[in-house]
Amino acid sequence: MNFDFSEEQKMLVQSLERTLAKTYDFETYRAQLADKATHAPELWNSLAELGIMAMPLPESAGGFDGNHVDVMVVCTELGRRLVPEPYVSNVVLAAYILEATGCTDKLEAIAVGETKYAAGFYEPGERHNPLALGTTATQDGDAYTLTGHKAVVLGADTADHLIISADAGGASLFLVPADAEGVTLRKYPLLDGRGAADVVLDGAKGTLIGSAGNAADIIEAAVDRAAAALCADTIGAVEEARDLTQEYLKTRTQFGRPIGSFQVLAHRMVDLLVEYEQMKSIAMEAAVEARNQDAATRMRAVSAAKAKIGAASRLYGQETIQMHGGIGMTDEYALGAYVKRMLVNETLFGDTDYHLTRFANT
Amino acid sequence: MDFNLTPSQTAFRDTVRAFLAEKLPKDIQTVVRGQGHLNKEQFQRWHGILAAKGWSTPLWPLEYGGTGWSPIEYAIFDEECYAHGAPRVLPFSVSMLGPVLINFGSEEQKAKFLPGIQDGSDWWCQGFSEPGAGSDLASLKTTAVRDGDEYVINGQKTWTTLGQHADWIFCLVRTDPKAPKPQMGISFILVRMDAPGVEIRPIITLDGGHEVNEVWFTDVRVPADYLVGEENKGWNYAKFLLQNERIGIAGIGVSKNELNALKRLAASEKKNGQPLIEDSNFKAKIAEVEIELRALDITNKRMLVATERGTDPGPVSSMLKIRGSEIAQRIYELKMEASGLYALPYQPNAGDASWNDELIGSLMNAKSSPVYLNTRKISIFGGSNEIQRSIISKMVLGF
Repeated sequence: MNFDFSEEQKMLVQSLERTLAKTYDFETYRAQLADKATHAPELWNSLAELGIMAMPLPESAGGFDGNHVDVMVVCTELGRRLVPEPYVSNVVLAAYILEATGCTDKLEAIAVGETKYAAGFYEPGERHNPLALGTTATQDGDAYTLTGHKAVVLGADTADHLIISADAGGASLFLVPADAEGVTLRKYPLLDGRGAADVVLDGAKGTLIGSAGNAADIIEAAVDRAAAALCADTIGAVEEARDLTQEYLKTRTQFGRPIGSFQVLAHRMVDLLVEYEQMKSIAMEAAVEARNQDAATRMRAVSAAKAKIGAASRLYGQETIQMHGGIGMTDEYALGAYVKRMLVNETLFGDTDYHLTRFANT
Repeated sequence: MDFNLTPSQTAFRDTVRAFLAEKLPKDIQTVVRGQGHLNKEQFQRWHGILAAKGWSTPLWPLEYGGTGWSPIEYAIFDEECYAHGAPRVLPFSVSMLGPVLINFGSEEQKAKFLPGIQDGSDWWCQGFSEPGAGSDLASLKTTAVRDGDEYVINGQKTWTTLGQHADWIFCLVRTDPKAPKPQMGISFILVRMDAPGVEIRPIITLDGGHEVNEVWFTDVRVPADYLVGEENKGWNYAKFLLQNERIGIAGIGVSKNELNALKRLAASEKKNGQPLIEDSNFKAKIAEVEIELRALDITNKRMLVATERGTDPGPVSSMLKIRGSEIAQRIYELKMEASGLYALPYQPNAGDASWNDELIGSLMNAKSSPVYLNTRKISIFGGSNEIQRSIISKMVLGF
């Protein structure tokens, strides 16, 4: 039994921290948001040079064969620094689908940061079930014609290629160039500055990847990997929000004393510290089990984490703003950015209700 | 990162399982599984069985009869005991007094008292709390005045768990009322319960049980040899004693077992003709507490592994106490909810060995409300959850 990160993982964190501290402080983040830029090519390239794109990919595709604890380590740092880059959507979610459907020749371009993919499963009106398919695919010779609407597809605003789930006699996966005819992207930044798009397909041509009608297991496994990664991302955001609040309670004085000396605030802070340990524990388990071959074990671990971290991070956001008072409401203070990061993570890839129900039924 | 038990930990677990399967007496298992009250003979019989195996004082130093188990192994033992319906050895002698005597007692005291603690033949109770000294323990007023080679004790202790069975009580008493700080005038002393002037009165708790007592001392004369360590240093020994509660403080074993019982209960109860466990509302309530327990199990193991390595886990044990008690209380609450109307008939002694009445509802129904009421105590005793929060905030915020 061992709950430590390995030496390699600690080194990865250090180099990532160094790079981000140099290139991506809070003011840079704010400036980027003001420009509505969800992707900064320079930052993306420097992250690729660090090897974090290659890290989770198989060795045969130029990757480092990293496990999901490695992914956790990276995503925690990305959350901590509010990096909006489409890392999870591309390197964790889409790359796994390409790998699982035998498109390994496409991974090398992801490993070096050259090509970006985004995967769209969710649809308007279907909330959080990745297998509820209104999008259809009809065969037309070698190609398929796709018609439908994918909701809030993370990373689709900057992706070169889209992976789309559609009904072709059961759940199936298709590769569609983002600029293909019949594809309309409505692009936007999310609350926290990460990018997404609604994808409308109107007779767009797609290439089937994997076998038709058999993609449900792959989609669920892919979503679980992404969900576990976002749990880790939230841990990074929570650690920052926690530290900001703790520091504020020690230094902000009212009525002639630090406000943290008021028991009503001190005890609420302690409750958040307890929540943090619980979130960290369950995020660690999700990382360890996110690739378990046994689907039930994987789903229970990931859903436990997503449900717990979703609910606890909501509480974190509410409580840390409240304990800060007015300053917590302002855009120029970093707390709000972390709160929004957590909210986005909470709702993507299955919200708390979805995962609580799936945990109970698995 | 690896969440699995090592091969040697798995082998250890199997050894514990085999021992419990072979040695746990049926009558004791029945009372524990039925959440009845064990009688004195049952407590002592099980203690004796563990002692014969060498497992009654596992965390003591090896040379005093410890087992040398690692914290993780102890946690495995703890969990297996709950899973098999084995009683846990009461903490007062083994976990509290024993380590104090080993660290601060005289050689004569160790020789006189440790064997009776180890084999369970001496029953010890704890004399710390007083009517005016609960969370603020250092304000205790019971006095011990030196008179030749004796101390004379006057005062009152309360919340004395199972004191009605006890041969001895270990007490915190005030020996220097003029000390500059209240903590500095306190001593740690051992008193026979049958000494003239000791009087015990039951306190019946809201669940109808007799678990705790008041103990009155009127001019009780105690040999000065029964003072542990130095006079006026008792507060240090008490703090040491309370630190020893860390392992097992999260109650993982009991909560896992209770969660399983809750699921069995919810599967046997009906709502709208369907098993209650299929009801989406109730199912979500169970899932929430199950996830919380799953996380705490990992948090607890992180702490145990750190302890094993000698790293100071900081305020984590207070966190485990807070969240562990909240989880256990939530499970008991849900068992009562699941029991519905049959939580209501008043049957406080159902499940006891001496109880022969006809049961109303199932035994789990009958015990659900008394146990719910009884376990409101777990966020109060051993330093209330509010005291635990203050301990953490002192360490983390400095206030």
